[in-house]
Amino acid sequence: MRRLAPALVLGLTLACGAMPAQGQMLPPQLLDSTRPTQGDSIRACVDDDSPGGPLDRAVAQAIGDALFLDVDFVPALRGFPLDGDGYLAEMEIHLNNDCDLFMGIAVQPNSPFPEWAAMTRPYAQVPFVLVVADPDYRSLGDIPLGSTIGTAVASLGERVFITSMLQRPREERWRRLPYADFDLMTTRLLDGSLEGMLLWQPAWVRIAEQNAAASHLRIIPLDPVPQAVVQVGALISSYDTFLRTEVDAAIGALAADGTLDAILGDLGLD
Amino acid sequence: MNSFTLKTLLALTVSASALVSVANAQGVREDYTPVTDEMVLNPPENEWLSWRRTPDNQGYSPLDLINRDTVGDLELAWAWPMADVGIQETAPLMHDGVLFLQTNNNIVQALDARSGDLIWEYRPALAEVPAEWGYQLYQSRRQKNSIALYEDTVVLTTVDARIIVLDATDGKVLREVQAFDYTVGYSYTVGPIVVNGKIISAISGCSISGTAGGCYVVAHDFETLDELWRFNTLDDPNNPEQLASWGDVPPENRWGGTPWATGSYDARTNTTFWGVGMPAPYAALIRGSEDGDALYTNSTLALDADTGELKWYFQHLPRDDWDLDSPFERVLVDLEENGETRHLLISVPGKNGIFFALDRDTGEYLWSQETVYQNSVTSIDDDGTVHTNEDLMLSALGEEVLICTSVSGGKLWQAGAYSPLTQQFYVPLTEACNVVSATQTEFTAGNATGAMRFGPRILPEGITEAGLVEAIQVGVTKSEDAGWKVRQRPSMTSSLLTTGGGLVIGGDAGRYVKAWDQETGEVLWQQRLNAPIGGSPMTFELDGEQYLVIPTGFSAAAGSISSAFPEIPLPSGNGNSIFVYKLPNSAS
Repeated sequence: MRRLAPALVLGLTLACGAMPAQGQMLPPQLLDSTRPTQGDSIRACVDDDSPGGPLDRAVAQAIGDALFLDVDFVPALRGFPLDGDGYLAEMEIHLNNDCDLFMGIAVQPNSPFPEWAAMTRPYAQVPFVLVVADPDYRSLGDIPLGSTIGTAVASLGERVFITSMLQRPREERWRRLPYADFDLMTTRLLDGSLEGMLLWQPAWVRIAEQNAAASHLRIIPLDPVPQAVVQVGALISSYDTFLRTEVDAAIGALAADGTLDAILGDLGLD
Repeated sequence: MNSFTLKTLLALTVSASALVSVANAQGVREDYTPVTDEMVLNPPENEWLSWRRTPDNQGYSPLDLINRDTVGDLELAWAWPMADVGIQETAPLMHDGVLFLQTNNNIVQALDARSGDLIWEYRPALAEVPAEWGYQLYQSRRQKNSIALYEDTVVLTTVDARIIVLDATDGKVLREVQAFDYTVGYSYTVGPIVVNGKIISAISGCSISGTAGGCYVVAHDFETLDELWRFNTLDDPNNPEQLASWGDVPPENRWGGTPWATGSYDARTNTTFWGVGMPAPYAALIRGSEDGDALYTNSTLALDADTGELKWYFQHLPRDDWDLDSPFERVLVDLEENGETRHLLISVPGKNGIFFALDRDTGEYLWSQETVYQNSVTSIDDDGTVHTNEDLMLSALGEEVLICTSVSGGKLWQAGAYSPLTQQFYVPLTEACNVVSATQTEFTAGNATGAMRFGPRILPEGITEAGLVEAIQVGVTKSEDAGWKVRQRPSMTSSLLTTGGGLVIGGDAGRYVKAWDQETGEVLWQQRLNAPIGGSPMTFELDGEQYLVIPTGFSAAAGSISSAFPEIPLPSGNGNSIFVYKLPNSAS
């Protein structure tokens, strides 16, 4: 779970230079310039419907507890296009007006977020996993070349997979289809359209919990493709340097005393 | 008990507040003349009844009181602040003395066109869009390009994918339909056309994960709002060529193909024409379509208005790798040549700024012409086959290429205008390039929202002026030496208007509204206003006086390339307004 495998290094190296689409500016009047007065509470924006939602909510609560603050949970922005069109414009407004912490950010070098946002240190490292139906497969290498693997579109796991395939001769590649709907991808794995699916571990945990038909599916190693691991953190306004320092210290303490490990274990992510 | 009392009081207070605010805004326009089908197709000369005035999308008014000789005398008649904050893309309409104005967040206002006094205002229930639906919030802050007038109603499309029919006399809702499921991401960006009792519209949001495989032009019955037909730009079972063009990618894994400019309509053939946007994910390397053309992205569609059946299509940019989508206005022009009437569709359909002329009855390619500097297309064959620049296609994640034009255009939503006086098409353009990198960045961990990298917009080498207005001579064949180009430092930020007075009118990021001579491109009049000129300028005539309506306000198009003209600061205020001009004592 928390191994800094070569895959992560590869993934993070590849992620360098990633930036979202520009030209999304919005009028500054949309930014609330008043000082928040919520007293001893902290506003944590969490997308409960995202695969990492339970993790983000539990960690936000733990951070609040560590700082002796009440946590007010706010529904996080979601529902953006695959290309991120409009995301940064709305995120700037959301972070400025509604959130002290925006949970569940993928912490990456050369961040896609501009100067108005700062990232905390990561509070978890969670991998992408390969899930198969065929009981004979022990790793990706056992799946016949040319078979189709489903991948979570626009994800770090997909990125590492694409790059690995590009480094191989065409006849030594697996085919790939991008999916944004992981339930649909599971259906295609079950009906035999796919030989494997590559998705983030929390997404798989949710499917395994909720889809009885998926009970016989299992995780196998990605060899020979490197495993991608996402570091998960939170976004804080770059103007709120004090809060960021305190939250980073809290995450450090929660890691040191085993709280974060316990949360991951409770969620089946250990 | 106390709790009940408090809640009741609160509810009563809220209700009373709502009633008061509605009552203050509401008036009634008595004796409003309904807009007939005949009027939609052939509007009275003094009126502006649809997005580009006529369903052929020409953006031309025959009015000529304001002309080359008189334009310098224009005076401000009245001005009006818009009802909400957002990007200024409004397209005002005028009928029977009422100016209809759509504002951000789907607010519609009816103003007295002579005085600018408010008659009524419609504010939709924004609670329909949950706060966490970020993309719809983003869309709601973009002005819709158009509303439609039909009979005694105003027809609008909303960010939460509804079609709403308002009473034009008092702004009250007559009927509405949830045309698409906004909870999976569908959202209207542009307004409809309404002809022959049909509301024809096109949905956006087709790059959101939940909308995979379905992006539509759709027709609803005007009276019942029953859906009559829909055409899917991503999946056409009747065309094997379309299916094959996505390689091995099945419909459920396709995104994009959004028709996000209002279409045109030809009554002679009962055909509606729509432009379609880019494929998603942007890079073929990621979307998996390899060397497939990804039809019908970046195409013109000719659809039977009664059935939605595809008559023909033409693809302007196959294998798009750089978000250079091609949905913009399709303009219908009839030309007499050698004693024969030719029916053309002309357009600068895509961000790369290339002009196309097609035979609109057959889809046959006639000719094309480059405008701004671009490197996305290497050549176009005589049969219309477009050769996309394979040298710049992304072959590895992280690889960077310099693409001209930029993701912000070139050409963007700002519509060009045609003048039958000169048989020229006038287009607002921007010179710009950007570095593009096929990469994937997760904003939030594990979710399906990634990104391409687009570098800052920069001017092409050797060009120092971002703004360009180009006049293109329209014919069945290309005229090599006709037309003109006018360059300027600030970029163009509004649609253009052509008039019977021989003028082209539009404006720029430098806050200048300008009137150019259609024949020469000479600037005959200019005035500096409060904000970048935006939306779609229009004109109308009442009581023998011609009025000119100029929208201004916040412009993302100005901001995207503002580093090219740093000597012109952009206002930080929103400033969304309309300014209405007329000639002094011009009543006849």
